[in-house]
This record gives sequence, structure tokens and C-alpha cells, in this order.
Amino acid sequence: MRPELHGDENPCRPRHYKPAPCGALPKEGPEKELMETSRTRLLLTGVLFALAFGVIGFRLVDLTVLSGGESKLTHAHVKPHTEATRADIVDRNGVLLARTLESQALVAYPKQVDDAAAAARKLVSVLPDLNQQEVQAKLSSGRKYVRLKRQLTPDQQFAVNNLGIPGVKFETTGFRVYPKGALTGAVVGYVDAADNKGLAGVERGLDDELKTSDDPVELSLDTRLQYILIEEMQAQITAFNAKGGSGIIADANTGEIVALASLPDFDPNDMSSANEESLFNRATLGTYEMGSVFKIFTTAMALDDRVATLASSYDATAPIHIGRFTIHDDHAKARWLTVPEIFMYSSNIGSAKMAVDVGADRQKDFLGRLGLLTEPKVEIPEIGRPEWPAAWHLVNTMTIAFGHGISVSQLQMVTAVSAVVNGGVLHRPTFLKHPDDYRPQGVRVLSKQTSEDMRRLMRLVVEQGTGKFAAAPGYLVGGKTGTAEEVGRHGYAHKELLSSFVGVFPINQPRYVMMVSIDQPHANAKSMGEATGGWVAAPAVSRIVQRMAPIVGIPPVDEESPEIRRALLVNFTSPSGRKIAAN
Amino acid sequence: MSMFRLATWGWLSVVVIAGFATYEVKYQVAQVDDELGRVNRSIDADRDQLRVLSAEWSYLNQPARLDQLRQRYLTLAPVTRTQLGSLDQIPFRAGEAPAGASTPAAQASARPPIRLPGGPDLVSAKPGAAR
Repeated sequence: MRPELHGDENPCRPRHYKPAPCGALPKEGPEKELMETSRTRLLLTGVLFALAFGVIGFRLVDLTVLSGGESKLTHAHVKPHTEATRADIVDRNGVLLARTLESQALVAYPKQVDDAAAAARKLVSVLPDLNQQEVQAKLSSGRKYVRLKRQLTPDQQFAVNNLGIPGVKFETTGFRVYPKGALTGAVVGYVDAADNKGLAGVERGLDDELKTSDDPVELSLDTRLQYILIEEMQAQITAFNAKGGSGIIADANTGEIVALASLPDFDPNDMSSANEESLFNRATLGTYEMGSVFKIFTTAMALDDRVATLASSYDATAPIHIGRFTIHDDHAKARWLTVPEIFMYSSNIGSAKMAVDVGADRQKDFLGRLGLLTEPKVEIPEIGRPEWPAAWHLVNTMTIAFGHGISVSQLQMVTAVSAVVNGGVLHRPTFLKHPDDYRPQGVRVLSKQTSEDMRRLMRLVVEQGTGKFAAAPGYLVGGKTGTAEEVGRHGYAHKELLSSFVGVFPINQPRYVMMVSIDQPHANAKSMGEATGGWVAAPAVSRIVQRMAPIVGIPPVDEESPEIRRALLVNFTSPSGRKIAAN
Repeated sequence: MSMFRLATWGWLSVVVIAGFATYEVKYQVAQVDDELGRVNRSIDADRDQLRVLSAEWSYLNQPARLDQLRQRYLTLAPVTRTQLGSLDQIPFRAGEAPAGASTPAAQASARPPIRLPGGPDLVSAKPGAAR
């Protein structure tokens, strides 16, 4: 039952109506209930407002007093990533090798240009290197957007701006500069000038990373060693009137490539002067029959498989006739030779017999373990695929023993030789710098003892064998020469040689493995008619070692000290009964 | 009644002061924001300049160029092995043995003359005589 409302109790009473003075509040009944409800609502609203103001007040105190001290820069100023942005490339010491700089390009929106002929005439008056007809054609082409000129200088930009031609605008674009130019071109590569897309080298191999990364890409290269390598190789190429050459210096214990040269080279800042020959990376893309440097693997394989020891000997008195081939020695001794003698005099006959003793299957397996039968995976796309016979016959076993009938890249050679001399651990080659505290695990491919024996043999080559010109006074160089006849159009060409030297330094505790190959050297009077690896490539290695040692912090030693002589001694008896102690 | 008036005036002045303070702060913030924009643009310009200059620095420091400049202006040459040695190859002067006489360096002074590989005989050369 709703209560009847009278007089003052009526909430809808007109304003001018004044009720009679009222008495005390009703103590009970529906009136009291109404009052209670109103009061509760009022209280609730009050509490809500108090809470809201409390929260705001607390937040104010919090912002101004509590965390006001550490003002956070919520919108730190960072330039936005644009299409033109591309990360720097630096060498292992932080030396800048590639960078994208901003420049203003001159563009036009032909539909907004009123008088193409006048505009073209005006533009050419301040930019004389533009072709007036071309500009006019572009401006009247009816296209939406044309690009007239890239890389305006600030002066040119000012002059064009002063012309005030409608529809002609500026656009910020990036262009890639390579401060070291040709010095590091073979590894760094280059980009497409139009869209800054990587076309070769690390620029292409790491294109995605360079596009997105804010930090520079650190290469394993050392610009100083790069300079030494290229300069010394260029000296040999000039002296022997050679066609070109390639060289690699690698860290023997990590697989990092610290220098790589492919000559003739190109300047990535000036691609118009580059040609097919200079763009071809001879060190990684070119695969060649490497010649006698392969005896490193043949000997290591025989020693590691215990087929031969340093005291074993082989009959090298007469050439081997097999099928239509004849295998003979260049430095023929025509007698029985021990394993160290076969290595130091680079006997083809001895090496072939050694490989036959090991057998085709194990030879193939061993070369495969050293990564010589598969293309290496590195950060640049210019990687050559090794070539080797599908059917591995006896004659293949023999010729591969001294580096013919198998083509590999210099990168593979350096990687494999590093494993042979560093204690027997194969490391993946890389063009990126390892972090300072990172020591790659690697894969063991031969025993420590074999590795030590091989170091002694490689020292022997430089001390008394075919690689004497690689000796660097004060430094311990070991290595192996190689002279391969290149396959011409009519089979092997005797005059076209690839003369190489693989050097290890310091040989008693290898840190660097380097390979220098000179392509088609011509013998000169100074070399007494010789153009072999020992005459052409070995002297470069000697000079490279002497120049790089102070830079990489390898102190000179006394080669004649007893400790070193003992550490590198090879003790063997020649089959003729002569006792030979060499080191 | 006068109490009520006083409180009203008090609050009213607080409101006016707060309003003015808010306006003042907002105005300052706008100014600082302009300043920030200006500084940021100048930082951008400086950064671009730095990028260009450091690229040019790297370009000017090409080893081949440095080598040419060295040959033209300096009498210096790259370090060779004869200029390198270790501390224990340096003898102490006679009668100048250090306090810890058992250090390797001190023992070295008692050794016979040591030859640097290919270098001069250090012990026979009187220290200071060359000056």
C-alpha cells in the first residue's frame, strides 16, 4: 500500500507553495525509510568522490615527489628506420668499411610541371652535367614521378631551390660509401646504387641483417693485414707479370678470415670501372687444382691412418706409368725417399704411392672430413663448388695425392690446413668476428700427434726443402709449395701455372695460416727461369710474416735456440743409410 | 558569518593561484618542447655531420695513403724484428741489482751477453753511451 502524500511530504509541490512549519522528523513509518535511503545514497556518492580524489592526489604525490627525480625520457629521439638506412660494416678493430650517408636527390612530378622545356633549360643552367633533352623528355613523359639526379651537393640544392620550378622537388636518399675502397672490396662486396640492395660479398650475404640492424656488422678482417697481403701479392704479380692472384690469411684456431685478397680487384665506390675479371672472387669462388700443396693432406692422411710413419720410405727411382698418364717428379732424386724427403722435395711419385697405400675410400673419406669435397658455408654468396671425380679410380687416387684431378677453393684449402696444423680440429671458416671470450668448439679430424708431425714436416720444407724463400729471419714459418698446371683449352698447359704457397706461422704454435696463389706467373731473369710456388709465392709469404708479426704481437725468436730446434726436429734415416737430422 | 566569508575568499584565491600556475607551467612546457625539437634537430644534423666526417676520416686513413704520407714527411719505418725484444733481454747496470735479487730480470743480468735475433749485442753496449 502506497502511503498518501500530503502537504510538505509531496515532492512535486510547486516552488511558491510554502508548507506550514513542520514538526519533528517522523520516528517511524514509510517517511523514515525514505530518509534512510537518501542518506545512504549521499554517503555512497561522497565515498566515491573521496576515493577518486584520493587516487588523483596519490598519483600527484607519486609523480612529483616519489619518482619525479628519475624523469623517464619516454620518447627518446631516434631517427626512424627508412629504406635508405643500412647498418655500417666495420673490421675487427672497428675500422669503418662501409656506411650509408644521406644525400639529396633531385626528383620531379611531371604532372605538376607547367613548361617542361623551360624547366629543363633552367635546371641544366645550374646543373651542367645533366642532358637537357633527357631532362625535358623525362619532365614531359607524363609519368607520376621521375628521378633526375642523385647526390646533389648543398650548393646545387640551393641553386635548384632558387629556380623555384613547380613540381621539382628534393628527396632524401641513402648512398653507400666504402672508405677503404678496393682494399676490402672482395669480402665487403657492393650494393645496387639505385635501391641499396646488396649485390655481392657480405653486403649480399647479410643483406637482411644489414637492413634491420642498428649496430654495425663486425667482420673478422683486419684492414692492416689486408693491406700487407695485397701489397706483397701485387709486388709478386708485377715482378712475374702474372695475370692475377688470390690470398687468404686465417686464424688457425678459430676459422676467422683476417685477410682476403683477389687480384685484380675492384673499387666498390666506382663500379663503372669494374669488370667481370675484377669482380670474380678468386679466393672463394674460384676452384683450382692446387697442386703439391695437397701433399699436406696426403701425408697427414698416411700418418694419421698409421699407413706410414716418418721413417717409412717409398721407391721414387722411376716415374709411374698408369694408363695414358705418366707421373714423374719435378725435383727428381731418382732413389728411395723417406716420408719427410717426399714432403720436402715434393715428390709426386712418393705421394702417389703413399695415397695408394691408404686407398681410395679412406682418401675420399679423409678429404671429406677436412671439408674439401663440399662447399663451405660462409657469410658471402661467392662460394665455389669443389670438383672431384665421380668415379674415384686408382689413377684419381694417385693424381689427387699431389693435387691434380680435384679442384677446390683457396678458402677450403686454408680451412683444411688450419685443421691439420692446429692440433687436428676443424673450424668452420667465417668472415664475422667472434666475440672476445668465444672459443669455437670445432670438430676433431686428426690426432694431435699427426698434427705435430705435420708441423715438423712443414718447417722442414722451409728450412731445407722447396720453400726456402718463405723463411723469415726471426720468425718460425712452415709451409708447403705448390705449382699446378692450369687446364687450358687443350688439356694441361705447361706454361700456365698456378703457383702457391701455404704458410703457417708460428709453426711451433700456429696462430695464422695463409695461402698465396699467383695466377700465370712468367719466369724472369731474377728467378732463374723458375715460376714455381717456391719462387713466386713463398717470398711474398716471408715478407707478409715479417710485416704482420709486430702488428699481431708475435715476438721474434731465435730460430737457432736449442728448445726450438728440438721442438721442430725431424729425425729420420734416409734409405741410403745416411743419417739426417733436420729441423 | 565572517568565518564563512574568510574561507570562501581563501579558497577563491587558491583557485586563482592554481589556475595561473597551471597556465604558467603549460606555457613553459610548450617553450621547453620547442627547445627540445630544436635541440633534437641540431643533434640530428650533428650526427649526420659526424657520420660523414668519420667516413671521411676512415677514407683518409687508407693504409696506402698513410704509407705515402709517411714516406714523404716522416723518417719512420715499420717496426722490424731487430727493434723488438722482451724485458728480460735488458740487463741491469752493474751494481744496480734490484732489491728482489731473485726476480727473473735480475737473474738475466747475471747471464752471459744475450743477442737479440739479428740485433746488436745489448750487454756490451754501455747503457747511456749512445746518447
